[in-house]
Amino acid sequence: MKLFLKKISALFIVFVALAMLMSFGSLYFLRHSSFYKSSFLVNQVPQDNFDYVILGASDGLTTLNTKVIDSVLSIEGLNLSMDDTSLSSHYLMLQHFLAEGKQTKYCILVSSASGFDTYTNTLNNNDYRFLMYTNRAYVTEYYKQFPDTRAKILYYSKWMPQLGVSYYNAELFYPSLMSLLKPEKRNHFDDKGNFTYPVLNKTNQEITEFKAVSVEFSNPYVARIMTLCNENNIELICYFPPHESKKAIIKSSEYHFINHSSTLTNTAYFYDEIHVNHVGRQLSSLNFAETFRTYKTND
Amino acid sequence: MLFNSIDFAVFLPIVFALYWLLAKYPLRAQNSLLVIASYVFYGWWDWRFLSLILFSTIVDYSIGLALNKTSEDKKRKRLLWTSIVVNIGLLMFFKYFGFFVDNFVTAFTFFGAEIQPNNLNIILPVGISFYTFQTLSYTIDVYKRKLEPTQDFIQFATFVSFFPQLVAGPIERAKHLLPQFEVKRHFDSNFAMSGVYLIIWGLFKKVVVADNCAFFVNQIFNGSSSYSSAELVLGAVLFGFQIYGDFSGYSDIAIGVARLFGFSLMVNFSFPYFSRNIAEFWRRWHISLSTWFRDYVYIPLGGSRGNKSKQIRNVLIVFLVSGFWHGANWTYIIWGAIHAMLFLPLLIFKRNRTYVDQYTITYKQLPKIVTTFLLVTLAWIFFRADTATHAINYIIDICRFESLSVVTFYKNGKSLLFSVIIVVSILVMLAFEFKSVQKHQKEVILSPYMAIFIAILITFMGVFKNPSDFIYFQF
Repeated sequence: MKLFLKKISALFIVFVALAMLMSFGSLYFLRHSSFYKSSFLVNQVPQDNFDYVILGASDGLTTLNTKVIDSVLSIEGLNLSMDDTSLSSHYLMLQHFLAEGKQTKYCILVSSASGFDTYTNTLNNNDYRFLMYTNRAYVTEYYKQFPDTRAKILYYSKWMPQLGVSYYNAELFYPSLMSLLKPEKRNHFDDKGNFTYPVLNKTNQEITEFKAVSVEFSNPYVARIMTLCNENNIELICYFPPHESKKAIIKSSEYHFINHSSTLTNTAYFYDEIHVNHVGRQLSSLNFAETFRTYKTND
Repeated sequence: MLFNSIDFAVFLPIVFALYWLLAKYPLRAQNSLLVIASYVFYGWWDWRFLSLILFSTIVDYSIGLALNKTSEDKKRKRLLWTSIVVNIGLLMFFKYFGFFVDNFVTAFTFFGAEIQPNNLNIILPVGISFYTFQTLSYTIDVYKRKLEPTQDFIQFATFVSFFPQLVAGPIERAKHLLPQFEVKRHFDSNFAMSGVYLIIWGLFKKVVVADNCAFFVNQIFNGSSSYSSAELVLGAVLFGFQIYGDFSGYSDIAIGVARLFGFSLMVNFSFPYFSRNIAEFWRRWHISLSTWFRDYVYIPLGGSRGNKSKQIRNVLIVFLVSGFWHGANWTYIIWGAIHAMLFLPLLIFKRNRTYVDQYTITYKQLPKIVTTFLLVTLAWIFFRADTATHAINYIIDICRFESLSVVTFYKNGKSLLFSVIIVVSILVMLAFEFKSVQKHQKEVILSPYMAIFIAILITFMGVFKNPSDFIYFQF
């Protein structure tokens, strides 16, 4: 038995050492790349001061084009949205932005009506994109708070990176190989963090009816993001992007908001029910720029 | 509990440590621990089905003892039939009840009668087809006086429920496995290490080869009408590798885990995709099941004795029953029938035993190997399809040759990545297997360096986020 334990221990130690080395290397290359937004912000965004940043999921990524807004208002913005995330990830992204010593006057928090009210205490699908910063306390704390297995894997990756890199090998290990060859490559977003959906051959129909959805801002992360903004002299604006069938109804709120949920009234502007297409994004960005201009003037 | 789960990664070392700590105590202690561990392992899915295993164990143990006590032929026959009826009855009820009801309804509807059946919504207990066959082999062997019945209930319970092979085989014969529970086990470091290497190899086949193939196989089979002929062919080929990696991977892990506890399980797969004809394929694929059918169905039917028409009948019966064993669906029966049709010409022209003594292969035999693989792949379409109609449409769509586009395999970064991983992993698997075949080995034997290499491949090429269940659990 002793011989077996010796052999198996030797095998295990060599395997763990190799896997750990490869995983550290993988995360190192990703940390020095621009593949995901977390490292893009660190490596490819030299500016420290912005007029506004956009935080959101796929709707934030594809609805507001900062290049259009910046050209209309002559200001400087950055889109920090990541698809398949929720408000908890947006909070993490804002922490990450501030931890890099960057500042912004406005934070545009993009979410659907339900997103501002619904909270599930689970890791979001793309939260692994912060794994290369797992040595930072706010990232570790973020992973630690969730009870699900995936979050635990990411949390323990602080000490054993092979756990996270192996579990998310398609999302971390292989992109890291690409980052080694092309560190400047970005994963589906432009140099300002924007992405767009193509125009599909959808029907060209007027939208005459929207289902009303009332918003209470009951997701605890709205308050947490607000607190973080206040601590850093950032003004928070909640933005409701255009939706093909639902209209946000906000009766009274302690939060500033821009409600454009029912501004696009033709199906031709939509890629799917919750995302605008290339044309819809142009219109949404212009609409937003105008409202934002008024907002800034009144401010 | 799945072999590729965190639960099992915790469970196995605990049971292993306790098991060898009990080595200094009487044999019963180790066997009792194995029974408890096996029941925990099985109960992890659904503890309610433990009662079925226990019931099957009690029935066959009692029948074994009763068979030993009497020499009266009539009584012995009655006891044997009791065991057959109970075991096959359980299998029929849980696995085939819905199938028979549905087919009766279809038949009656065809003749104009309307029936509202009660399908009972029966859940299929995991591995029922495996352990019922295992217990059945015990009773039959005791009946045929090929085996002395065990007097020790714990030993018999361990034999029935032994967790490494409980849910997906290898289907062990009592003659081979039961005596191993009767003797003291001594820890053999080399034997245990060979088990560890086999576990690593099995995990590679399951987590890397099979689960990556599943990415395309599921897409293509679930929407087969929208794929090109070339994509459909590749979908079927990949399913061939998926089911092989999945099932033989499970068997390798089972054999490896058993070795950690000092047990030797039979070889279940012997590099079947290097077969040169269908007869050889069946000597290399799911060996524990095909030999079970040989011993308990084919030979009792007369086997190769008698004239050609009787032999053909026997082969047909075995293949059809084997197909039906896999599941309550016409697709499996057709799959069995296709294999019978491919096997029968070899039997008729006495070519079915051509390669019995030629284990190693030559490069000249490559066309035969490829042809056999493609024929097996054709049959796999029925095995994987949801219905017989789906399978037929799948084959018709292949035959249209409308497009040879394979864009599905590189349409985006993720698809391209999976394609590369699949090609690399299949090549690695075949290279190791080819080397083993040429060395006349019954399994892939890894060196420590190769084991580490394979473990690294598992770590960085395996599917962990969305793992698939083992396909054969459904049988």
